[in-house]
Amino acid sequence: MQRRKKYDKTKICVRCKDAQGNIVIRHTVYCKNCFTPLLIHKFRRVLEPTVNPKPDGPRRTALKPAGNLVIGFSGGLGSSVLLDLVHRCYVALDKSTMPTEGGRDHPRHERVWKKVTVCYVEVCDAFPGMDDRTDEIARFVSRYDELDFVPLRIQHAFDRTWWERIGRSTSFSDIGVDLADESLLIEPLSQTHPDPLTALRTYLSSLPTPTAIHSSIQALTRVLLLHTALQTGSSHLVLGTSLTSLAVSLISGVAQGAGFNVREESMEEWTPDPETRPAPDTVPDDGTEGARKSKEARRTVRIVRPLRDIGMKECATWAWWSHIPVVGKEKWVWPGAKPGIGTLTKDFILGLEQDYPSTVSTVVRTCGKLAPKGEVAGKCILCGRPAQRGVQEWKARISIRSQPPPPPSDSDSTDAPATPAPVVPESKANTRPSLTPYLCYPCHTTLTSRSARPVPSPWPDTAHSSVAPLPVWTEARLGTHANVGVSVADEEEIAVAKKMDQEEMKGIVNEFLCIIRS
Amino acid sequence: MPPRTCALCNDARAILKRPKTGQQICKECFFYVFETEVHNTITEARLFKPGDRVAIGASGGKDSTVLAHVMKTLNERYKYGLELFLLSIDEGITGYRDDSLETVKRNQQQYDMPLKILSYDELYGWTMDAIVAQIGKKNNCTFCGVFRRQALDRGAAILNVDHIVTGHNADDIAETVLMNIMRGDIARLGRCTSICTQGEDTIKRSKPFKYAYEKEIVMYAYFKKLDYFSTECIYSPDAYRGHARAFLKDLEAARPSAIIDIIHSGEAFEINDDVKATQKLQQTCRRCGYMSSNELCKACTLLEGLERGMPTAAVTDRARRKLDADGPVPENLRTIPLFQLPSNLRQNAATAVEATS
Repeated sequence: MQRRKKYDKTKICVRCKDAQGNIVIRHTVYCKNCFTPLLIHKFRRVLEPTVNPKPDGPRRTALKPAGNLVIGFSGGLGSSVLLDLVHRCYVALDKSTMPTEGGRDHPRHERVWKKVTVCYVEVCDAFPGMDDRTDEIARFVSRYDELDFVPLRIQHAFDRTWWERIGRSTSFSDIGVDLADESLLIEPLSQTHPDPLTALRTYLSSLPTPTAIHSSIQALTRVLLLHTALQTGSSHLVLGTSLTSLAVSLISGVAQGAGFNVREESMEEWTPDPETRPAPDTVPDDGTEGARKSKEARRTVRIVRPLRDIGMKECATWAWWSHIPVVGKEKWVWPGAKPGIGTLTKDFILGLEQDYPSTVSTVVRTCGKLAPKGEVAGKCILCGRPAQRGVQEWKARISIRSQPPPPPSDSDSTDAPATPAPVVPESKANTRPSLTPYLCYPCHTTLTSRSARPVPSPWPDTAHSSVAPLPVWTEARLGTHANVGVSVADEEEIAVAKKMDQEEMKGIVNEFLCIIRS
Repeated sequence: MPPRTCALCNDARAILKRPKTGQQICKECFFYVFETEVHNTITEARLFKPGDRVAIGASGGKDSTVLAHVMKTLNERYKYGLELFLLSIDEGITGYRDDSLETVKRNQQQYDMPLKILSYDELYGWTMDAIVAQIGKKNNCTFCGVFRRQALDRGAAILNVDHIVTGHNADDIAETVLMNIMRGDIARLGRCTSICTQGEDTIKRSKPFKYAYEKEIVMYAYFKKLDYFSTECIYSPDAYRGHARAFLKDLEAARPSAIIDIIHSGEAFEINDDVKATQKLQQTCRRCGYMSSNELCKACTLLEGLERGMPTAAVTDRARRKLDADGPVPENLRTIPLFQLPSNLRQNAATAVEATS
């Protein structure tokens, strides 16, 4: 049988129309010499419009970011290629990567970010038997000069000393959440200031599904990187998400209920919560409007994925031709665990791409045409992304979890209008403080949605506690919400915090009463 | 181990685990929460008003059989004041539809609802058996889907109803959301999670089972001992949908809430305003009067292709150009009869036109 051709017309490069092609990208043939400028063009095309604080401002002559740059590095293919590209284009100022127009002294040829930091979050302590790659990663990063390296560990998310080290206040008490109960009640922790590693493993062991463990680690890593960006005075955090991995994370996000955050998967701006912001920095403020604005801008971190137009195959080709020794990532598995939604999605998308080669780019282009619908109710206390208003009422309405009132009997008035059954029976209305009102839909689902069958924990020997610790940023924000000037350590103060919940409950009931009246 | 008690009433013995919530509950509580959730869906979206004439799209399968039962139950329990009808489409698939229509006829007796059966043969002059004989099994779902959609509206117009309810369940909707993202069908992605489609001057179409899991529908039919036909269509090898369905089942196995989470995602986004502006406006087919986004509606284009021996004319651009190059439409071409809205909607449409002029 004759093999199907991978290219459309000829084997000659479509760009120079001269050399024999070396790579086929979705039926289009490129030679090695033309592939390099093509990839750099795609990289710059995504990154550079986001560099200046005002994205639509003039950038032909100057790229002036409001702060430094952090590269989120995982050791995988995408982030290795990203690190190489950032270094060549913006640190080493490699002439071969410069646009040809503009002359030798064009301001574009100046260094864009004063300081570039590579931040690596080691996750080996989250899974049994996983190797620590920090040293290997440090060696890889040291190949590139003029880069700072910040190694973190995933348990820093539960580490008060790290939180203090990055300039945050730790004057809040130890509180956790009861993950065994769908109400997600907030409870004081039995142990004060637990060891971060134990706290991490208790938290992960309390999660209901492998999907929840994977997505929690991704969320913790993302927030750790964001706080590092803030600490290093960075205005930009770049991630090595390729076109392929973006398509996977978009579909996986949709499957986990993150439709409201589709836009954030491609590009987002993050500002720390006012309660957990670091103390005013030491940069002298001359009191002018410009200085104030500049300080404000530095508190916003823009997350950019400059490889989002570049597929996995192109990344692999770049790494091969540039001799990049990719360290690689281990799979997040443990004995008895079934694949989570992220793994299933990746396998599915890569498989579908074989038969339908435009799947990945179609997914990304389609999601690029979407916008969130509905109101934002604030930021999620776990992941920091915008949370949609009214998700709990929606969840309660479409799946009843407590006994609804009996149906109307035949003797009831025939004029009675058809009204929805109450979604929260008043007798069971919860008056204890809960984490639920502070969570976005996907994070709430992560903490509450269970598998049909019991799931083995990655750390079955970890002492099981009914109350799981929370990440430091969540504790800090809850503490601030709860104490309003005093400590949240005793029951009474917790009761103060829940008043907001009751107000919200009342809002739900009011809304329901309106429906009845109408 | 002692038997578990129902998580809802805390009284009776739990006999099933709800796929949607994971709760172990008794049979009576299951019936009640299932029906109440459908009732909540209906009332929250204000689907009906007293006196509405509503046709239930009935295929004889599990979804439409349970839908007919639940609609009848809720109509009586909550006094919706609806006049219910059964509307069936006979696609002309030997060994599949002829058997399932027998189920619908039994449902007519059991639920005491008027039944209208409309066939592709009488409407288009083609049965699905004849279409498959000409085009083969590939792409035949395109013909069947387009023809059925129009046939349902025409059946509703004959019954003079203003609303059609269909048995699309949560699994169908989640699968459609995924497929529309993966195929880049932005127009359908924008509307596939809407519970009710169509405007004031067209026949409304809605999906009361939008949040009902397929597994729970089967459970409901099983415990209620409902009479339904459970064979898959013999002409349904839609490969792409098959991939999406298999993927969805894997997701559901990993985390059962995935189905409802996908629907939530679909409801939480919308199409950008810039993209919306580029979408085609709805118009009327110049040949049959049915709503269309082009001069000719999809059903007329498909039918013309079949009649002129080029059935792929409405499927690929190349075939369409070939058909156009083949000369003008023959005068004796069989066409679909002119579509007319039910009388009450015709009045609405006329009023709307007067108001805008």
